[in-house]
Amino acid sequence: MSDFQQTALQLAEQQQSPEWLNSLREQGASTWAKASWPTRKTENWKYLSLAPLQQYQQLGWGAAADSHALDEVEQLQLDATRLVFINGRFSSEHSSALPAGVVRFGEADDEQRTLISQHLGRVVDSERHLFAALSNAWAADGVLVHVPRGQRLEKPIYVVNISTPQRTPVAASQRLLVVLEDNAEVELIEHYASDVHAQNGFVNSLTEVVVGNNAQVQHYRINLEQEDLLHVGGVHVNLQRDARFHGFTLAQGSRLKRIDYQVNMLGEGAHLDLNGIYLPRNRQVIDYHTNVEHCVPHCTSNEVFRGIIGDSAKAVFNGRIHIHPQAQKTLAELSNKNLLTSRTAEINTKPELEIYADDVRCAHGATISQLDETSMYYLQSRGVSKADAITMLSFGFINELLNQVPEQAVQDYLRPRLVSLFGQASETVGQIGYE
Amino acid sequence: MTEEVESLIRKDYAAGFHSAIESETLPPGLNEDVIRFISAKKEEPEWLLEWRLKAFRAWQEMEEPTWAHVHYPEIDFQAVSYYSAPKSMDSKPKSLDEVDPELLATYEKLGIPLHEQEMLAGVAVDAVFDSVSVVTTFREKLYEAGVIFCPISEAVHKYPELVQKYLGSVVPQKDNYYAALNSAVFSDGSFVYIPKGVRCPMELSTYFRINEMNTGQFERTLIVADEGSHVSYLEGCTAPMRDENQLHAAVVELVALDDAQIKYSTVQNWYPGDANGKGGIYNFVTKRGIAHTNAKISWTQVETGSAVTWKYPSCVLKGDNSVGEFYSVALTNNFQQADTGTKMIHLGKNTRSTIVAKGISAGRSDSAYRGLVRINPGADGARNYTQCDSLLIGDRCGAHTFPYIESKNPSAVVEHEATTSKVSDDQMFLCQQRGLDAEKAVSMIVNGFCREVFKELPMEFAVEAGKLLEVSLEGSVG
Repeated sequence: MSDFQQTALQLAEQQQSPEWLNSLREQGASTWAKASWPTRKTENWKYLSLAPLQQYQQLGWGAAADSHALDEVEQLQLDATRLVFINGRFSSEHSSALPAGVVRFGEADDEQRTLISQHLGRVVDSERHLFAALSNAWAADGVLVHVPRGQRLEKPIYVVNISTPQRTPVAASQRLLVVLEDNAEVELIEHYASDVHAQNGFVNSLTEVVVGNNAQVQHYRINLEQEDLLHVGGVHVNLQRDARFHGFTLAQGSRLKRIDYQVNMLGEGAHLDLNGIYLPRNRQVIDYHTNVEHCVPHCTSNEVFRGIIGDSAKAVFNGRIHIHPQAQKTLAELSNKNLLTSRTAEINTKPELEIYADDVRCAHGATISQLDETSMYYLQSRGVSKADAITMLSFGFINELLNQVPEQAVQDYLRPRLVSLFGQASETVGQIGYE
Repeated sequence: MTEEVESLIRKDYAAGFHSAIESETLPPGLNEDVIRFISAKKEEPEWLLEWRLKAFRAWQEMEEPTWAHVHYPEIDFQAVSYYSAPKSMDSKPKSLDEVDPELLATYEKLGIPLHEQEMLAGVAVDAVFDSVSVVTTFREKLYEAGVIFCPISEAVHKYPELVQKYLGSVVPQKDNYYAALNSAVFSDGSFVYIPKGVRCPMELSTYFRINEMNTGQFERTLIVADEGSHVSYLEGCTAPMRDENQLHAAVVELVALDDAQIKYSTVQNWYPGDANGKGGIYNFVTKRGIAHTNAKISWTQVETGSAVTWKYPSCVLKGDNSVGEFYSVALTNNFQQADTGTKMIHLGKNTRSTIVAKGISAGRSDSAYRGLVRINPGADGARNYTQCDSLLIGDRCGAHTFPYIESKNPSAVVEHEATTSKVSDDQMFLCQQRGLDAEKAVSMIVNGFCREVFKELPMEFAVEAGKLLEVSLEGSVG
């Protein structure tokens, strides 16, 4: 067992949690303790070093605090049911009243407890996802979103997780369980934010989504965090017949950020579309792993990921599509495009196809390049300065995905923040940022 | 329709006969004595024996790789015989007339011309039978041009400085498990040296044949193209049909010095096992070339044989403006498994590489493309284009793609695309409606699918490869 594995286990013991979660916690702890610590030879962690985690000799649980990041979060103008967690602690002061079906684990009634026990830790395969096992071991607080048959939650659910600066390293565990019965519908936004000052923390987040027949989820996962916050997270989804999952994800910040998307197509006619943007800069490291399991016929999936990697940052993308023998008539596509903008930046991408059925159409593509010279020339020949041309082209590269975001408030919130990454305070930034 | 297609792919393995030739075969087992025996048999100098022993000791410390997408029972390396040679070769025949007629008959049956006057003009052949080279044709003619083409065991004696300089310089002894094994026990193979500025006057080719039971073949090929030279090299291989699995672990090293060009083509047709997956060759091969400034290395392979293939011909693009190419067709049928692809390591400025890989899976087989494109920080202006297409025939086979793409240079441009499809009912319908029978139609569609690769093969081979696909696919269409 590595040092960090031990530290994390000790941390689990210091935690207060509802008794009925104990069996999940014990299971998680034993899987976590038995797991061999990933090295460069571990295929799933080949390009991502966990060394920054190992530096945490001592780790404690965080306490609620005030944060400037809250003001920043307020800028996302969305009429939603808001749940705010600060350093992993629920802040009722900043949260809205919860509608029926949305409840924190600690306050769940008997029926909801049964539902949680039935699904929590069942969508994710903790044998294959090391940090999911840790999340099970750390299961205490969390949010259940339950939408009964044929219903639709009026307001989007907006879960905000904020990390604040700490003197000694702290851990935060985030857990979200979404259960949609047949024909139900929900919109869910997960927002990870932090103060601008040094953080000294580790966030382990896990979202499990169960989507019933013909149900529909609109899901956002926005990671806008500070440089030295470490974050390992996962979104695990089970799709039943004709279920649809529309996902959007964005990652920026963190010296070590790893996000897994695992989508299991369990019913015919299920559909996934997933768009992602990653923008590591400075010395950040962002690693996206997606895995779509096509287990049954007639399902479709479409993934588009784009990344711009600058400074001495590093990005990893691994997109796996697995077509099982029965999954005939599958349509699966994946595209990953990358821009490298600095001599010290690095990108490792691996789109994988594993296909065992013949009547399918699968394709993937990956590209790596820099900004197109002819486009740069064109803009400059029209009198646009070089700096502005870079900003416009870089932003244009990801704006295509941003434009497809259905929630206007999310678009409006992200656009100026992303533009400012590519050019500081130029006039163009203002113009395209608020178009 | 699938069943009909499948019934058309069932094939006969034409090269599956065994020649009754008396051989001297070492009993199975591997230890330092075996290596000393092989070395003594070849009358090798001391340094080479030491080199082998070093590799052997490293091999003992290594573990068999398990990352490939192939499954096979564990290999007992002590149950393999590491040396086998036809007895008649002991006396070292001086000319073709002295060679055992049974040996010559074997090659005749395989359609490999060893008689210079009869042969396809313009192809020089080195024929390797189990662990020894039987004959090398056109040596005099090549010698006039300054080209050295001979068995590597002979080169060790005649050109020790060249061999010592380049052997293991591209694939070091400890490179991987099978390369280490090969370095310890390699028996024969070809050695080619093209002097400065020479364009090799004819195609060079080596033909490998496994004949003896329970033996493994461990050949080693070393090709050195000196500055500004040019060579095209072909390689073919077959083995008898047997119920046991036989091991083939070869190493090929290519050195293309400044401005040189090497074109290396393979038609691999080892015995693939029967329709139930019994028998067949385990083909675990390490092939790599190093390209210096302005040099070009081109790999073309047609893989139709072997029960299990594990093969990644690679290019290290060390010099500025060097070029690497990889064109591959891998066809698997019945229970065959192939995990094949390439590595393109871009080190120099303005290096370019192209990868075109076509996989065809039929029956219950699995074929995987596994490739690495790495752009190092110094490779300004590097360019890579990769295309992998898979064609599935039948619903019980698998096709996989595992491309690794790593870039550390912003001025590099890397593109990768992969698709998977099947022989569609529409395509079949169109062909049949135009009067072609089902088998012809599939053959035509498959040949069209592979055209991009076949056009890279030397003419004689392209025809053979096309035919090979036809036999291989016979009985698989429906």
